[in-house]
Amino acid sequence: MSVAAVHPGGIADHIHPEPQGFVRRYVFSLDHKIIGIQYIITAFVFFMLSGLLAEVIRTQLLNPNGGFVSSDTYNEVYSVHGSAMVWLVIIPLLTGGFGNLVFPLQIGARDVAFPWLNMLSFWIFPVSGLMLFASFLMGAPTAGWMEYPPVSLQGAAGTSMWCAAIFLVGVSSTMTGINFVVTILKMRAPGMTFTRMPLFCWGQFATAPLLMIATTALAAALAALFIEREFGVPFYDPTKGGSPVMWQHMFWFYSHPAVYIMILPAFGIISEVLPTFSRKPIFGYKLIAFSSMAIALAGFMVWAHHMFTSGLAPFLQLPFMILTFVIGVPTGIKIFSWTATLFGGKIHFSTAMLFALGFIGLFTLGGITGIFLAAIPFDLHVHGTYFIVAHLHYVLVGGSLMGVFAGMYYWFPKMSGRLLNETLGKWHFWLFFLGFNGTFIPMHWLGMLGMPREVATYDPQFAFWNRFESVASYLMAFSILLFFVNVLWSIRNGKRSGPNPWGGRTLEWQIPSPPHYYNFKHIPTVYGLPYDFAQPLPYKGLDEELTDSPPAVAAGAH
Amino acid sequence: MTAATLAHDAHGDVDQLYIETRELRLQGFLLFLISDCVLFSSFIFAYLYMRNSGQGWPPPGIHRLDVPFAAWNSVVLFGSGATMHYALENFKHGHWMRYMIFLLATIVLGAGFLAGQGYEYTHLIYGEHVTWAGSGIFGASFFTLTGMHGLHVFIGVCYLTVLVLQSSAGVYTRGKYFGITAGTLYWHFVDVIWVVLFSIFYLI
Amino acid sequence: MVEHKAQPAGLSGGFWTVTAILTALSIAAIVFWSIFPLEKYLPAAIITARQVDLLFRFMAASGSALWIFVAGYLLYFSIAFRARATDPPDAIGLQVHDNHKLEFWWTVIPALFVVLLSIVSVRIWYQVMLEPENGIVVQAIGHQFYFSFRYPQINGEVTDEMHLPRDVPVTLNLTSADVIHGFWVPAMRLKNDTVPGLVTTIKFTPIRDGRYPIICTQFCGVLHSEMDKQYLVIEEKPAFDAWFKKWQEKNAHASNALPSAGGGAVALQGGNASAGKALFAQKCSACHKVAPFSQTLVGPGLAGVLHDPSHPNLVNNQPATPQNVAGILQNGFTGSMGTMPNATANGLSRQDIANLVAFLDSLK
Ligand code: HEA
Ligand code: HEA
Ligand code: HEC
Ligand code: CUA
Ligand SMILES: [Cu+2]
Repeated sequence: MSVAAVHPGGIADHIHPEPQGFVRRYVFSLDHKIIGIQYIITAFVFFMLSGLLAEVIRTQLLNPNGGFVSSDTYNEVYSVHGSAMVWLVIIPLLTGGFGNLVFPLQIGARDVAFPWLNMLSFWIFPVSGLMLFASFLMGAPTAGWMEYPPVSLQGAAGTSMWCAAIFLVGVSSTMTGINFVVTILKMRAPGMTFTRMPLFCWGQFATAPLLMIATTALAAALAALFIEREFGVPFYDPTKGGSPVMWQHMFWFYSHPAVYIMILPAFGIISEVLPTFSRKPIFGYKLIAFSSMAIALAGFMVWAHHMFTSGLAPFLQLPFMILTFVIGVPTGIKIFSWTATLFGGKIHFSTAMLFALGFIGLFTLGGITGIFLAAIPFDLHVHGTYFIVAHLHYVLVGGSLMGVFAGMYYWFPKMSGRLLNETLGKWHFWLFFLGFNGTFIPMHWLGMLGMPREVATYDPQFAFWNRFESVASYLMAFSILLFFVNVLWSIRNGKRSGPNPWGGRTLEWQIPSPPHYYNFKHIPTVYGLPYDFAQPLPYKGLDEELTDSPPAVAAGAH
Repeated sequence: MTAATLAHDAHGDVDQLYIETRELRLQGFLLFLISDCVLFSSFIFAYLYMRNSGQGWPPPGIHRLDVPFAAWNSVVLFGSGATMHYALENFKHGHWMRYMIFLLATIVLGAGFLAGQGYEYTHLIYGEHVTWAGSGIFGASFFTLTGMHGLHVFIGVCYLTVLVLQSSAGVYTRGKYFGITAGTLYWHFVDVIWVVLFSIFYLI
Repeated sequence: MVEHKAQPAGLSGGFWTVTAILTALSIAAIVFWSIFPLEKYLPAAIITARQVDLLFRFMAASGSALWIFVAGYLLYFSIAFRARATDPPDAIGLQVHDNHKLEFWWTVIPALFVVLLSIVSVRIWYQVMLEPENGIVVQAIGHQFYFSFRYPQINGEVTDEMHLPRDVPVTLNLTSADVIHGFWVPAMRLKNDTVPGLVTTIKFTPIRDGRYPIICTQFCGVLHSEMDKQYLVIEEKPAFDAWFKKWQEKNAHASNALPSAGGGAVALQGGNASAGKALFAQKCSACHKVAPFSQTLVGPGLAGVLHDPSHPNLVNNQPATPQNVAGILQNGFTGSMGTMPNATANGLSRQDIANLVAFLDSLK
């Protein structure tokens, strides 16, 4: 074996035998791309379920007196909706899903550092998802995705199931985090320095430590809640000397970083889609990369902005308010850089690009209302109201979910070798855009005028706008139905994409779609940033990738 | 790429591959310890938070902890840290017999620590004033944290026992002993956690 | 569009026209938020509600302006720089990587804005926090699923509405008897959680007569949705006094008992002083010291409550007997120092009370 193949800092140019048999290839696969697709499929199944729960919410709220489901069921429905969307949909899609699928290719690695651990992380995820949904059978949790004690101590048996399920997805996230950090630190192709790494990888690199560190804090909180519920060991029950506010600290110490887990990879997706479809280098590469790290770090210092009404000492609240404002600055850098990337471009409006553009507009709006919420006096008014629901859906649906859709349209050819249908895709985008804004814009003023969240019935004065939202949410559901139809249809009948349908310049586009299980015949060497459209590709050693030549070390040679 | 597939692959420079995967695994293992550390920190934070939230401390009615006993028990644990250190050093230098002796000593000391903890627990639970996990926030924190730590020690003892068996079967060579390094790191980690737990429960 | 390559700054006439339009739109948005009649939709019942509205106007105006610029340029660039059918298929855009001056300014201007916003919010926050506290002290207690209110000089709890005299500063202590609730009066633009085992305080001065809904904003159980049926009534002093008197009379003979507390004497036999000591540390030490009467925390020091010759009577003027202390623990008491929560709010069982009294009795 040549010396060049065993390069420092990367794994040797070595290919182990191709796995044989359906089970080894597609079920208990060690291949990061298959695992990524497994994550994506599973998460989309959970997305359908929790989206249907969202439609149950909206149907209940058609009338001020509800009447579609009972109060108790309603509480179960939104609690599972919130928990599932966060832990079973967005986080797995963006980290385990797109993370696994794309970033090892982008850094020129053959796989992640610990493929076996990767498989384990994946398989924990559907199990815990089923546990979460199974809690409906024993009385699902009702206290929302935050499950504040003491009321969650009174919750039905399913609440303990919820703890166990979330604990398990947490374990899976932690393992994914460890895996990704090591992979990015150690397995980059020669020449793939940190300043040449595609921005999607930077997004994952900023997210992985959050997965690893924040999630463990949640695990502790969940373990304590579980022990308290099942064995009466007091942690949170004030009548036994515990502190309910304690839970809030531990929960938000995780869950605020978690909101960045749900957005930083989406930022990464946007940073890939924009340059590709405007045929321009991304504007301000270094600051975009750096601001992701800054956001991840600062994300650990602002958790108490969810607790301004919980009875914290007033003077402790001020630093949290100001630090939260400060997070607007690095985020702004990204927004402005993306906008500037468009300037002077040759913009192709593929569906992926439409979702990326929609992302910027809607996420900015959600981010700005986030800044409103950070201002304590205003938060004292709108905390616990539909204004919060509006903010969180603007950043999570207008942001993270739009990012996921952009990623799906962009990388679907890499997964399947076929393009998604663009006409259906455009219908999907525009109906989704309309339906989304119709559903969530009115929530801003409903909240400010007095509609609390997590209610099964509400004051009749809010009936008009609630009906309006519900109807719009059906439109959104229809648009997502189009997306699923599109995927199912295109996977068999879509146009063949070839290796690089978008003229992308990152490494994953330089190899066949779908890639071979070993990714690269030869590990390439990298000479520059991927985004210089005027330059030839900054890679060497890729000449054979699209030919029929066998990989350097013949598969199954030993 | 697991070490196993790498090790028996005919192609490539096995040592080079081993070194590279070893580095990966070392880094992964350190990251695991970091996240484990966050788990302990969360409970420690919870304990300190509740301890300082207004009420006097220690809460009345709590059986006093037996500090001297726990101190002796800690000496046992720290001693095992030292023996583990020498076990690794001796292995590196090829003193197989001494390595085995130190490793066995570590296991004995670790088990001794667990026995001591068991004795302490029995006294607290069946002693004059019952202190148990259900009896207030002190009991809850004390038993969860020391219990979690005890579990870590227990897992460590099991792992070291596996090391003994593996070493006798000749799994580790002078070039390849990541399993021993990992065990040593883990054991030291458990020691350090104990320093913190001992300070917050017995000293302050 | 080769001309864009020829003109790297690219600031064509179109760009400036769009900038002018966006500026005009932003100004329109700022004017809109400055004059928008918020109080027509949601009256401002207390002084600081107007301050919060002011903060909202400020943020909404600057937020709208910011968003108009971001979304406006996004739209304009997308249209102006779209690929055309006439472009060669391999046409590429302007190859710029960055522009340090631009990046500097879009870091610094938002940072300066953050400073400004911090100043504005901190100032308004101070105004909300530093409302005077020389008026009346009221306590609101969250229950599943209603709020009850305690007033000085009214025995027991008021359970239907919360009345407050206009223009008198109010100190509202919040606590909960069971789980966390949120006490929100939208017209006050103010809320706080009611946390069991914790007393939190908000202060405000009502300035506008009216009946305003009180809404629970923390999920608290199956009927959380129903916890929006009570009202805060702000009225003239005379009307308030009449209401106050009515409740004083209504509760006067209610032996200070709550509907839920069940009244009746507490059996004090079998009290365990050491269990009481533990309980005291958990539940009482936030407000009471084990020290002479004069060492007040929230409530008086309790070391001598049963054996201090200088204080033969309790705060409710009954003689200091174990049975009467138990009565205070059972029913709570609101006097000159504030409100002593009742057994429900403190989460005390009969046995707990017996243990506590035994403990207090053991202090000499
Ligand atoms: C990433 C996270 C995420 C996502 C994507 C969504 C998506 C949606 N959410 Fe959710 N939501 C949360 C996270 C999310 N939500 C959280 C964290 C909470 C707080 C919970 C709490 O308080 O504890 C919440 C709460 C919440 C509430 C407030 C409940 C309350 O406080 O009482 C409402 C109310 O309208 C709502 C609505 C919706 C709607 C209409 C969608 C839509 O976008 C969903 C659209 C998707 C589909 C409809 C499914 C896919 C479509 C098909 C399978 C086609 C076939 C289906 C049909 C034809 C119906 N959500
Ligand atoms: C993807 C998820 C996500 C993201 C990215 C964010 C981002 C932000 N969030 Fe959000 N948030 C949630 C998800 C998210 N949030 C959820 C789920 C909840 C509710 C939880 C629950 O209770 O159920 C919540 C609740 C929440 C609260 C608590 C409200 C309450 O309960 O009382 C607060 C308060 O500070 C807040 C603030 C912010 C801020 C300041 C940001 C910032 O990061 C936003 C930064 C972005 C911008 C500011 C826009 C772009 C910037 C510019 C164009 C530059 C110029 C601007 C300035 C300098 C100001 N959020
Ligand atoms: C929220 C704060 C608070 C808590 C908690 C509290 N108290 Fe009190 N307590 C008071 C206040 C205030 C008074 C005085 C009322 C007044 O006269 O205005 C008082 C009065 C008393 C008195 C009467 C003292 C006297 O000299 O007459 C006794 C006895 C008492 N409390 C016991 C307890 C016990 C026992 C507990 C714990 C279960 C407890 N309190 C918890 C606030 C509190
Ligand atoms: Cu009380 Cu919600
Ligand atoms: Cu947050």
